[in-house]
Amino acid sequence: MSDFAPAGDPVIPDYGQASDCVINNGAFCTDWFLSQWSTVFWPPLVSHIVMVAIAVSIGFVIAFGAGLLAYRKKWLAGPIGMAATFLYTLPPLALFQLLVPFTGLSLLTVEIALVCFTLIIIFQAVLVGLSGVPDDVRRAATGMGLDRNQLLFKVELPLALPSIISGLRIATVLTVSIATIAAFVVDDGLGSPIIKAVSSPFNTQFVGAGALAVLLAFALDGLLVLLGRVLTPWTKARS
Amino acid sequence: MAILGQGHLNRRQALTGLGRGLLGLGALGAAGASLSGCTSSQQSDLTGPKKKGRRPITVGSKGFAESWITGELYAQGLRNLGYTVDLKTNVGSSDIINTALLSGQIDLYPEYTGVMLVTFMGEDKLMDSAQQTFDLAQTWAEDNQVTMLRATPFENKNAVAVRKDFADKHDLQTMSDLKGIGAFTYSTYPDNVTGAQGYEGIVDTYDLKNMKLKTLSIGLNYQAIERGEIDAADVFTTDPQLLRSDLVVLDDDKKLFGFQNVVPLIRDDAFAELDDDASEFLDTLQSLLTLDAIQAMNEASAINRLDPANVAEMFLDENGLM
Repeated sequence: MSDFAPAGDPVIPDYGQASDCVINNGAFCTDWFLSQWSTVFWPPLVSHIVMVAIAVSIGFVIAFGAGLLAYRKKWLAGPIGMAATFLYTLPPLALFQLLVPFTGLSLLTVEIALVCFTLIIIFQAVLVGLSGVPDDVRRAATGMGLDRNQLLFKVELPLALPSIISGLRIATVLTVSIATIAAFVVDDGLGSPIIKAVSSPFNTQFVGAGALAVLLAFALDGLLVLLGRVLTPWTKARS
Repeated sequence: MAILGQGHLNRRQALTGLGRGLLGLGALGAAGASLSGCTSSQQSDLTGPKKKGRRPITVGSKGFAESWITGELYAQGLRNLGYTVDLKTNVGSSDIINTALLSGQIDLYPEYTGVMLVTFMGEDKLMDSAQQTFDLAQTWAEDNQVTMLRATPFENKNAVAVRKDFADKHDLQTMSDLKGIGAFTYSTYPDNVTGAQGYEGIVDTYDLKNMKLKTLSIGLNYQAIERGEIDAADVFTTDPQLLRSDLVVLDDDKKLFGFQNVVPLIRDDAFAELDDDASEFLDTLQSLLTLDAIQAMNEASAINRLDPANVAEMFLDENGLM
């Protein structure tokens, strides 16, 4: 029916002049980083934060529930811990590959994998925190007439908070870094510009996106430290 | 095209995609797996009048910049006409993306006519013309319920380039002219030495016993030839470096490298759901994809390092297609 499109007369847009730094692939070209911030760096940064927030939130809910359960029913601590440890030992890339046939190249695949890696860390932190509450404190609280739930929410959990927060910090920093591998599955997150830059190769994009991932890990860690301070004002007074 | 395709893919895939191909295969193997990843995150807005009650058109692209740009051109232009378009960049090599097309995971993607012959049809005869290549590819398309729209004026295929001073000195226009000029050095990447369109194929076809080989990693060709370390280099005809280097691309007078124009491939059932405006747009766009245009866009991507989505958007804008 149709064959060759007759050669037209295209207007070639002015794509601008690349700086020497960009042409020679310098270590870090600030001009390019700033001009491409809104297209190359900002959207992946946002999607990275969303990916991490979803994974850590879901991981926290599951691991927190499992931690409480294992605290109440001690015999469950072993099996749950083993299952969570097993998930933690899987290489992330292999886990993605295993999930893709079932959940596709989708955000769901990424989140399932990311959640798997947070579980053991948060689970252990919850369990260690709760188990670390001194027996005499617990007895004193019971003696004051607190029932089991009151004991948990008014005494045990507040005292376990520093441990839980530190578990959350480790899980969050870990997830920020593992989430870069998600780019093998979805074109999202800071891993996406990193993978593309490694294969092109283009240093500014690689260094810029890598540095953003590091800064993001520091920033989220700092926020959790602050959250811990706000939630446990007494620890500061004690130290 | 076992060879041209191979060379193409080896080189391009080495540059991009890493594990995506592997993971992509996994997804294709699983029935019903939703290929919902790899979607371009930006520009999901609909600028034109929305065409209601249509299923989205899924546009795909392969694992290298030229394909990303072409895919973006198709996707953004169709979006502008009011179609809902899902873009999956970096789907994988020709085999993988072709499976994705035929199985309905994508509806439309840009393919090279010569690649279709060799990779999909196993055709290893040399073709005489771009038209003959197109016509043969067309038979594959018809057999597979795929519509082939118009081909681009530009081709992206292997070629041999020499420095201008070297060409002038030996009065070179065609690859046949290389015979009898005395020993000279040609470079290609290590994967492209054996095979009918690699170094050995060139030596055989053009009887170039005087052509010495030096293998260089991908991308180092241009520096080496500019510095005079080599005399002739394996290049792709749409390489943006050809715009800035003082190089002459020799005519492949024995047609060893075949013909590689780009056609939009769209499954018949998906094509039937489009209005005339879609094929009109694609025809217009294809006619604007001249060698100059694609080289400029490849340059914007590879040298200026602009995002393929931006590169495509500016081109559509400037040419009144947005």
